[in-house]
Amino acid sequence: MENLKTNAEITWCPGCGNFGIFTALRNAIPKLEAKGINRKDIVITAGIGCHAKIFDYLNLSGLYGLHGRNSSNAEGMKIANPDLKIITFSGDGNGLGEGLAHTIFAAKRNQDITMILHNNSVYALTTGQYSPLTEKGWKGPSTPGGSFETPFNAISLMLEVGATFIARTFAGEITHLTDVLIQAIEHKGFSFIEVLQPAVPYHSWNEYREKVEFLEKLPETYEEAMKTAKNKHRYTLGVFYKTQRPVYHEGLYGDHNPLTKRLSRNDRITKIKQILFG
Amino acid sequence: MFKYFRVNSRINLKNRGLKSMVHDLFTFLVGGKAGEGVKKAGSVAAHIFSSLGRQVFQMDDYMSLIRGGHNFSVVSTSSSRITSQYIKANLVVNFDKRSSDNHINDVTKSGIVIFNSDEQENADGIGIPLSSEAEKYPMKKLMYGVGAVAILSSTIGMNKEQMNQNIKNQYPSGIENNIKFADTIYDMVKDGCQNKYPLERGVKNRPIITGNEAISLGAIAGGLDTYYGYPMTPASSILHFLAKQAENFGLAVVHAESELAVINMAIGSSFTGARSMVGTSGGGFALMTEGISLAGITETPILCVLSMRPGPATGVPTYTEQADLNFALSAGHGDFLRIVASPGTIEEAYSLTAELLDLVWKFQTPAILLTEKHLSENSMTINLNIDNAKWAEPKLYTRGDYKRYLDTDDGISPMLFPPSKEVIKWNSYEHDENGITTESAEMIAKMHDKRNKKLRKLIEHLKTQNTVNIIRGEHPTNIFTYGSTYMSLLEALKYGGLNPTIVQPIYLSPLPIWELEEFINQDNIVIEQSVTGQFASLLKEKGGLNIRSVIKRYDGRPFDPIELSIKIKEELE
Repeated sequence: MENLKTNAEITWCPGCGNFGIFTALRNAIPKLEAKGINRKDIVITAGIGCHAKIFDYLNLSGLYGLHGRNSSNAEGMKIANPDLKIITFSGDGNGLGEGLAHTIFAAKRNQDITMILHNNSVYALTTGQYSPLTEKGWKGPSTPGGSFETPFNAISLMLEVGATFIARTFAGEITHLTDVLIQAIEHKGFSFIEVLQPAVPYHSWNEYREKVEFLEKLPETYEEAMKTAKNKHRYTLGVFYKTQRPVYHEGLYGDHNPLTKRLSRNDRITKIKQILFG
Repeated sequence: MFKYFRVNSRINLKNRGLKSMVHDLFTFLVGGKAGEGVKKAGSVAAHIFSSLGRQVFQMDDYMSLIRGGHNFSVVSTSSSRITSQYIKANLVVNFDKRSSDNHINDVTKSGIVIFNSDEQENADGIGIPLSSEAEKYPMKKLMYGVGAVAILSSTIGMNKEQMNQNIKNQYPSGIENNIKFADTIYDMVKDGCQNKYPLERGVKNRPIITGNEAISLGAIAGGLDTYYGYPMTPASSILHFLAKQAENFGLAVVHAESELAVINMAIGSSFTGARSMVGTSGGGFALMTEGISLAGITETPILCVLSMRPGPATGVPTYTEQADLNFALSAGHGDFLRIVASPGTIEEAYSLTAELLDLVWKFQTPAILLTEKHLSENSMTINLNIDNAKWAEPKLYTRGDYKRYLDTDDGISPMLFPPSKEVIKWNSYEHDENGITTESAEMIAKMHDKRNKKLRKLIEHLKTQNTVNIIRGEHPTNIFTYGSTYMSLLEALKYGGLNPTIVQPIYLSPLPIWELEEFINQDNIVIEQSVTGQFASLLKEKGGLNIRSVIKRYDGRPFDPIELSIKIKEELE
């Protein structure tokens, strides 16, 4: 597990929920390797925010992109080389604020990638402003009178837009988190995991521990999943939905691989001449 | 679509080079509503001319709407090279009154004007009942274009048999009706048109392609693997062409949700080693600039086609301008190497696209292929050296500890792509050689220096390449231009019999000042399509050139060679 860690200095706050995600992921990868997923095939992308610092700490290849664009980077990687296993990290502001359109479209397309949404319900790195998942009434520096917008429900949103694996888990439940990560990464299609993770300057672990509960079972239908996502509160953990539908890159070019099966220069020139001269 | 037109292509070699270009010029203009097959009639005309071994330039002028409005197509042909449309036509075919009104002055002195007598009564020219004749057929609106081709066929001296063969090839649905209709119209215009402009045959059949097709094919030849786009005129036809060719060439071609997604997906693809390109116009490019900057710091090889239309903002979507030059030169926040180059001709668009794809992979930095609607969407017969295209090859990692941002003498770090046992980290934050985020003062400066070294190496490389086209003339004045205005200039000089020296920098960043030094204190004039004269400013500021005057056009229309030659003549006197 240790060689999954780089030498980079870790700058998360002591006690940050991100440590739980970091640990669970380092637990999950050897287990995935045992199941035949090659570590060298795993590529990560991250947006910008506290979540994204994981990019520097994980000793895996990848692209540390711009705020909100990590899922686009991930889509571009998968499209170019579908043999790769792509994991994209996002915060709630990053993926549901700046990058909302990209998150929704990656799900709509059922891109075969995994998105881990670190939900701390706050813009932590930029000093505590309200986020797309912040509950009403949050007094941050940009909403001194309390935020009055209704937050998104990430789970029902992902159900609506087409994700094919949707789960919520918690940075304080490492076993559950590890298990869900493994399921999501193994899933073929767009898998979305919302991970509740306290940003300790703004929320305490106890606020979470008091509220978390587990789903009794995987809802059997889409309708049941939607009902569950909407009726249960925002601290309900478990897999909400799991289904199969065609993935994007196979719709685009079947079993082709644009990179590993690229046409030689000569073949290209010959075909260009055919187009121009018949 | 642009295959050789094989019918009626017997070539009479006796006529090789007999007449001067100007004497031999013929222009066909067809105008009507969107949805009436105006553009198609123009391209059929172009193919008829090319099947005669002649050269062709076709300009399509259309409005930003789907049905109605006014569209027209101008096709100019010569038995020698032609690089512009001429707005004064020898044969004008108007499908409706609006077209007649718009093109009242667009006819040569002895030219023929055909109008639709069902739409207007007392117009100048020859009236034919186009609407009531077309009414007799099920696909009424589609008959107009066939009628225009029949009128053209009569005018240039084709017999019915030759015409019908062309109609058969070019309008394959409802052939019988099309031929019947064409025969009717052919007979109707017999008196006024028949053999009025018999066209001499040229010497060689050439394919006809648009600038965007040349860009697309050049990218493919250069090694393109993935293309991302979001529809925006005048770049959309790159997306359409490549989408259609994706399977044939094994490409991934994706229409994404926004230009933000487009550029960031393309960067993701480049990370895996895929040769990636994106295309857009000014508004979409504005969104892409964050990605251009990302490519700068992550050292991502990425090629962006920026096809200019009149701005600012939405501007005039289906017309042409050269006002995004400054924007392209400084696109993206921060200090980093941007390569900007602009093709002067459709042939150059092919070779330059492949060349830029190679450069971005050699130098691991973004490049912008700057062009205009005038090149993107117009078409001409081309003389293309297909085999000469560059092939994009990066410097690759061979052995040892891999460091993504290894600091080397020339600043270029060897590349490695997943899957790999080595860890490959590309980072939008300032980073160390391993790609790990840094805030160290020493490392920040070191990485700036590393990336900056690439400019020196690039200039060294470009000094061995053709970066400026110079045609030496005899007049003491030099004319500078860039992009597709070069084609307008060539035609204007030919038309006017003028021979100043022409200088067309292909590269705009870095500007090849080593090629321009000799002109610094000479008498220079600039021609460009920008109200503020952005290109002239660049030459003055970066090249230190003395510039006497700037000939500008900024009404969305390309220069007409006749008008331009008059303006140049005034400047040269």
